[in-house]
Amino acid sequence: MRISNYADLEEIRLKAATKILPDKPYIAVGMGTCGIGRGAEVLYDSFQRIINERKLDIILKKTGCFGFCAEEPLVNIYIPGKPLVILHRLAEVDVIPVVSAIQKGLMPFRNVLCRIEDWDFITGKFEFGKGLTEHPLWNEIPFFKWQKKIVLRNCGLIVPDDIEEYIGVGGYFPLYSVLTGKSPQEVIDEVKLSKLRGRGGAGFPTGQKWELMAKVKADQKYVICNADEGDPGAFMNRNEIESDPFMLLEGMTIGAYAMDASKGVVYIRAEYPLAVRRLKGAIEQAKSLGLLGENILGSGFNFDIDIVEGAGAFVCGEETALIKSIEGKAGRPVPRPPYPAVKGLFDYPTNINNVETWCNIPVVMSKGASWFTETGTDKSAGTKVFSLVGKVKNTGLVELPLGSTLETIVFRIGEGSGSQKRVKAVQTGGPSGGCIPVDYMKTPVDYESLNALGAIMGSGGMVVMDQDNCMVDVARYFTEFSNSESCGKCTPCREGLAQTLEIIKKFTSGKAQEEDIKTLEELGQVIKATALCGLGQTAPNPVLTTLRYFRDEYDHHMIEKKCEPGICQDLFTALCENSCPMHMNIPRYLQLLKENKLEDAFESSLRDNPLPSTIGRICHFHCQMKCRREGIDAPVSQGEIHRYISDTVYAKESYRKIYDRLISEKMPPTHKKIAIVGGGPAGLTAAYYLVRLGHDVTIYDSESEAGGILRWGIPKYRLPLDILQREIDFIKELGVKFVMNTCVGKDISLEQLEHDNHVVILAVGAQKDTELQIPGCNLNGVISGMDFLKEIAHEKKPEIGHHVVIVGAGNVAIDAARTALRLGSEVTVVYRRLKADMPANKDEIKEAENEGVNFLFLCNPEEILADANDKVRGVRLMKMACGEVDLSNRRKPVPTGEFFTLDCDNVIMAIGEEVDAEFAKEYGINLKSNGNILVDHFTHETNHPKFYAIGDAITGPATAAEAMGIAKKAAEVIDLKLMDKNRFHKLFREFEYSNEVPLKPEGGNRHYSVKLPLEERIGNFKEISLGYTPAQAYAEAARCLRCDVRTTVKREEE
Amino acid sequence: MDTNAEILVDKRTIDEIISRNAGKPGMLLTSMEEIQEANEYKFLDQQSMEHLSYRTKVPLSQIYSVATFYSFFNLKPQGKHTIIVCRGTACHTKGSKVLLEDLNILPGCKDAFDNGETSFTTEDRQITVKTVACFGQCALAPVVAVDGMIYSNVTSEMILKLLQNLREDKKDENIKLC
Repeated sequence: MRISNYADLEEIRLKAATKILPDKPYIAVGMGTCGIGRGAEVLYDSFQRIINERKLDIILKKTGCFGFCAEEPLVNIYIPGKPLVILHRLAEVDVIPVVSAIQKGLMPFRNVLCRIEDWDFITGKFEFGKGLTEHPLWNEIPFFKWQKKIVLRNCGLIVPDDIEEYIGVGGYFPLYSVLTGKSPQEVIDEVKLSKLRGRGGAGFPTGQKWELMAKVKADQKYVICNADEGDPGAFMNRNEIESDPFMLLEGMTIGAYAMDASKGVVYIRAEYPLAVRRLKGAIEQAKSLGLLGENILGSGFNFDIDIVEGAGAFVCGEETALIKSIEGKAGRPVPRPPYPAVKGLFDYPTNINNVETWCNIPVVMSKGASWFTETGTDKSAGTKVFSLVGKVKNTGLVELPLGSTLETIVFRIGEGSGSQKRVKAVQTGGPSGGCIPVDYMKTPVDYESLNALGAIMGSGGMVVMDQDNCMVDVARYFTEFSNSESCGKCTPCREGLAQTLEIIKKFTSGKAQEEDIKTLEELGQVIKATALCGLGQTAPNPVLTTLRYFRDEYDHHMIEKKCEPGICQDLFTALCENSCPMHMNIPRYLQLLKENKLEDAFESSLRDNPLPSTIGRICHFHCQMKCRREGIDAPVSQGEIHRYISDTVYAKESYRKIYDRLISEKMPPTHKKIAIVGGGPAGLTAAYYLVRLGHDVTIYDSESEAGGILRWGIPKYRLPLDILQREIDFIKELGVKFVMNTCVGKDISLEQLEHDNHVVILAVGAQKDTELQIPGCNLNGVISGMDFLKEIAHEKKPEIGHHVVIVGAGNVAIDAARTALRLGSEVTVVYRRLKADMPANKDEIKEAENEGVNFLFLCNPEEILADANDKVRGVRLMKMACGEVDLSNRRKPVPTGEFFTLDCDNVIMAIGEEVDAEFAKEYGINLKSNGNILVDHFTHETNHPKFYAIGDAITGPATAAEAMGIAKKAAEVIDLKLMDKNRFHKLFREFEYSNEVPLKPEGGNRHYSVKLPLEERIGNFKEISLGYTPAQAYAEAARCLRCDVRTTVKREEE
Repeated sequence: MDTNAEILVDKRTIDEIISRNAGKPGMLLTSMEEIQEANEYKFLDQQSMEHLSYRTKVPLSQIYSVATFYSFFNLKPQGKHTIIVCRGTACHTKGSKVLLEDLNILPGCKDAFDNGETSFTTEDRQITVKTVACFGQCALAPVVAVDGMIYSNVTSEMILKLLQNLREDKKDENIKLC
């Protein structure tokens, strides 16, 4: 039946209203591509089967996608009179329980995502029902809370294959009012007033664009919908067409009327088969009802739409290339003017708009321009749909008012990375866009603000990246893409991008030079200015923005020839080796152990790490965090093994041979004198390498013995003294001189050191307690965590009472807690955040819990209470609640206003450490605002010639291994500076071992070393982790997958 | 180009395709897409392109230009089964490069992609490996399509299972991956 007047349309609307709110229950399965990809078709069939078998009076519908892709399959449940409920992550096993519940008139209560009591379809409103308050409203959950659904108003709620449902929610009424009540110019004026801008990426004012075409007179005019959506990472248009194809058709029809076009083409990419199918079906339905084709709605206006499928060319998203493609030619852009509005498809005037632009039109005509401008900003009205994907917890399609910040999108809606990793950057605008670092996340998302950052809004793709993504690799990825999609016509794009790619590959293979950065920058600017079309003009953006915001990563690849995230394969041996701060060749010592070459294994680890038994006990084990074996069962315990190796060799006394070898290999004396201030992990490591290079090294330390935090902080139950001492003694044996009990700045001046030495290295660590300034923090009984541990190390017994409260969550706090426990106290650790946010070693936290340390999370100390003698008697704490995810990817603790008091005798403060480098500052050495010594990242030079700095003194509190890694790097650059020759590599050697890769994973699941039973730990500081047995060590070493081996070549026997 | 007589498309089929699309915008592009689809080995063979040129009066050089410009068109016979790894941004960020490298287990595959090819077919024409810029299923990255069926959140373990299934000529029609 053809609709020819208002009454006809209204009749269908009323009939369809009973489809939207029927008098019997319905189940609507979300059947977008994402839903189907997660099994929605199987679900639909299962529901169908059960309903037929049980002969139930339940309607089964196929709907589109509500947007929350990460939670697919989504299923809507409707029971008359009740709110609409959306279920998420539904599986086949849920089908029967869901149907059974509905049979009884009950709403299923498991897998509920949210409820909807009423819904504004913009062109119409519907009320489902009130109640079911135990489930959140749709806009109470983080993913939807900040969204405003205008374009996506119908998606996931109506049946996309049914034109009647579209009319039921008020669709096609805008078209009716336009055709019967407005002139074409009036339509254009309304669109102009609405300030709608093109949603394809460039943001050109739509009304203006339409006016340009309306002015041109011709026999035939075309309107085209650009549904090529080539941006990888963007799928908004796909969903808009799959879930609500009629809004596109209606928008195009209104536009065609305004511009006097009689033919329309939707150019849609072939990679969207479901969208193509739905659109074809929609066109047929519209035609059969007289809403498309001849004499639309009886108004005399003719307009028909054809579909053309793309064939896999990204450049065909550019309007002139798109036109060429439809004309049956290769999609090569042409210069403009002439603009398509004047001379377009088949030389006729043509207007091209993006899918989302067309979809906004029915809304603009229905509610009017001034309603539309209420959303968004002054220059950018309305909403925009974004695809939020990548390393983010909540992936899917989100629609927000323009002007919302990136922080809202990534952290409030997306809820951060969803893992322990930190978000590093967000990439917007696809291959034409840029990478925006997390520090700029308070930027509002609108055309101008993003342009100012060097990025573009683009079609709306937002890819979130975390610390494991390499930004140089990202630049390479996009350049590779744009280069291969380039049409090849103009030299700047064709040659320029090809060369850009070659230069970036120099970075990823470790062959780049300083001038390459300049060349990349210059090349990028030239291509932008001279390329013929938008593809070329924007292709350099990823390179230029990564150079602007992530220059340090380029430098890292260029100068140190390392890729920290472990992506650029030419720059590392294995992921474990790459993440180890000292870059120990881990697969090598594992293999050597497997081959029973124990001494070689020891020598291998000793050359890479001067303190193998020490570090093997106390490291954070960055290696395990990246081990590939984790994908099978669990990471390999690399650190535990190198502890086993050195412990065993020390016990056997066969270490002597290796020690002698290293001593005999010492390079001839250079007569360069080096003073190192601080005998902690960093100082010891720098000394170890520099003395072997032949320099005259002296360590100055204010304590009585060397070791720094290893000796004066870490408790003996983690690191026995004799182990540490033996390893320090070897450094002494190599020839390093130690001047103890000497505080530089007091007992000896920096001036003296400068005078007496060629180089002075500051390795003073971060030893000053960060103070918690709360009332009572100076009372008798409040102890500094670092001081507490130092006293124990000095074998003194600090006076602590029966109950000790520890404030903090790092390693110092846990060390202090377990130490206090051993002194006989009851211990409670208070932390204002969650357990998962604690920066301390995870194993240490677990052991602390096992031993009986109490933990109170989400409490913030507000005041320390005193008794009559001004001594500590308790702590007043405020309960905290979990707020939103902040830029550090942790939940902000939010005060609740509820207090409670903990009685205690002492409070140990361990909230953090700072660098105390006043003595250096007084000497004229520059510090950063946080007190860390300022150095050049690669040369370790301070502003003062001769003075260098390493370790925690430059980074702030970190781990021992990280400090040693920095020291090792610094030793290399300092030696190069002193001797003007590359000699560092001579301190290492090759070893003989097999490179056979295990064909099947060996060794079984992860082995755990025996730990001292709890009863035996009470009241003493005996070592707890007893290390591997030989059998365990060999089996664990065999678990290594040898991912350092890249290619094996089999030679044929001749 | 292959001139094996067995894998031509029937001229009548081509004529039918041309007449159905006649007069519509994008006629040539759509016809070429449908002709390729009608070929059992999913490629545009020489004879078909010549016949298309003859019927539509579009010069063979233009048809060839279109066939080589768009990545959709294959000029060589494709394998019986196709496995497509998505190399879009979201998939790349979530590690689809590793998935593509997992397929290097097929001899010759690594060399083909290293040399800049975008597709590789095994010698026995059983399996074709291709990459695509984006399927539009970014929220469920990384994504792999096997014979038109799209799998989401794919891991190395999963893709090797899929590949093994194909090598055994789809022993398991409805392979389930955890």
